Amino acid sequence: MTQFKMLLRREWMQHRTGWLILLAAPTLLLLLLSGLDGGLQINIDGNDVQLRPLRQAPSLVQTALLCAVVSVVTLGLALLTVGLQLPGLARRDRQDRSVEFWCSLPVGHAKAVSATLVAHLLLLPWAAMVAGALGGLLVAMVTVLAGHGLAAWLQLPWGLLLLAGAALLARLSLGLLLAVAWLSPLLLLTMAASAWLKRWGLPVLVAATLAGTLLLDKRLAQPVVQPALDLLTSEALQAMLRLQSLGAVRLGDGAGLQAFLQALPRALLHETATTLGHAATPAFVLALATAALGFWLLVLRRQRGA
Amino acid sequence: MDPLIQAQGLTLRYGRKTALDDLAFTLAKGRVVGLLGHNGAGKTSLMKALVGQADVTGQLTVLGLKPRQDRVKLLDSVAYIPDVAILPRWAKVGQLITLMSGLHPRFSADRARALLRRTSVALSDSVKTLSKGMVVQVHLALVAAIDARLMILDEPTLGLDVLSRKAFYEMLIDEWCDGERSVLISTHQVEEIETLLSDVLMLNEGKLVLAIPLDDIDRRFVALGHDAAAAAAVAAAHPLLRYRVQGGSAALFDGSPPADVLALGQRLRPSLVDLFMALTRQPEINRSA
Repeated sequence: MTQFKMLLRREWMQHRTGWLILLAAPTLLLLLLSGLDGGLQINIDGNDVQLRPLRQAPSLVQTALLCAVVSVVTLGLALLTVGLQLPGLARRDRQDRSVEFWCSLPVGHAKAVSATLVAHLLLLPWAAMVAGALGGLLVAMVTVLAGHGLAAWLQLPWGLLLLAGAALLARLSLGLLLAVAWLSPLLLLTMAASAWLKRWGLPVLVAATLAGTLLLDKRLAQPVVQPALDLLTSEALQAMLRLQSLGAVRLGDGAGLQAFLQALPRALLHETATTLGHAATPAFVLALATAALGFWLLVLRRQRGA
Repeated sequence: MDPLIQAQGLTLRYGRKTALDDLAFTLAKGRVVGLLGHNGAGKTSLMKALVGQADVTGQLTVLGLKPRQDRVKLLDSVAYIPDVAILPRWAKVGQLITLMSGLHPRFSADRARALLRRTSVALSDSVKTLSKGMVVQVHLALVAAIDARLMILDEPTLGLDVLSRKAFYEMLIDEWCDGERSVLISTHQVEEIETLLSDVLMLNEGKLVLAIPLDDIDRRFVALGHDAAAAAAVAAAHPLLRYRVQGGSAALFDGSPPADVLALGQRLRPSLVDLFMALTRQPEINRSA
């Protein structure tokens, strides 16, 4: 376990500058924007939502919305970065030849590969969630103080906000784990293709996918590739959070939002049970088995390439 | 006493190419062994096999373990520098010490820091800002701080200037070799390490052509200096190698040449370089020498 922690620390040492910028940028950007115009105007389409500038909204609505926006942007940015980095991550140590140094240490190949995956696919997005939530609170504080004053900020239902926020954060953390598990066949096979085929990995994978969806599926009585891809992506999105299970929210006044936040922890519990139910399926097991193949290919590449 | 390394029938193939061909040798503790050979002779393949990074056939045990199967356990007790300048460029020296502390159970951070104080490298230096020689010194300081029984060094000074090479070997001998630990070191710079070695292994095209303690070289091989008039008679005795020395020619024999040939010149001390040339040159080159 000490070794694994140290391998995670190695990821932090190597990527911390980029990660810190990534985690702080959305908060800083929104702070700057809120300072420039005295508040953000967010238009939300939907039957139950009234459209108006955010700075005119009640302080509770401002706080909740800004926390949500900063969290979503920070997490989205982190996930986008991970997605873009993933193919290169498989060849990172080989490109600077340091793989020979790492392989000269008494560390198992599987452990080394696992640490990289855990750090980038789970810990960074989890950190982004926390940073987004904290950054959202900071932006909300600045905005509410500027628009409504200190008294309004102090009068916010903090117990309710923090409880609902913590419940949502816990649910999203579990959701991320499940979403990564659902997407793991695609993620790990992409990495494995990159590790084995170098810069041809991604083009070959894209070509194989296109061939599967455009050629193979049309020749089969029952299409396989496109439905499998659709299933993985839709289950991953649903695993993060089934928004429709949480019910509608009226953001126009604080009372509607307050009622929603009060009901949120219970609604999340029910929603979590539904999501976990979807994980107890043969499709999920098959996804994990395919991911295990990708993982084995990554370990084998490291073993052979050392 | 069990040898540290025991190899029998050791063979490694990459497709149709045979990198190691039926090697058999042992390595006892407390020895400093030079692994010599031309490029492509199989030195790196052998070293990779010894640390479990290559799939070999035949029998191979290192510290009583099978390297491929017990790689992680083996590397607990083997310090290995696989190449020059392979430390991660993004890391600072202090970070490498921290990482090694958590990744290697026999690593002493205090000892690494003490060794680094002998160099001009600071803990806050980033690897990418160091010269190649400094990177190699940092790497040696890191592996010398491992309480290992065997150190394996693959061309550790390749491409370094003479000062860096000297500093490297001084640190190796002063700080690591204690009469109990063993070192296996591969290099092209035969003449530079000759004085450090206790044994030599020579590889030629994957075959082990010599495995001998350095003390035995004088007993087994005979170098004979002679003048031009004796050249034909000396050549007729089939020396391993004929070469130029100051003021004349010399020939190297495996074993003593016939007494009448011996009487044609004066006996010289065979150098490791001459022996290396004799045993690893292609036969056609050897014939034309």
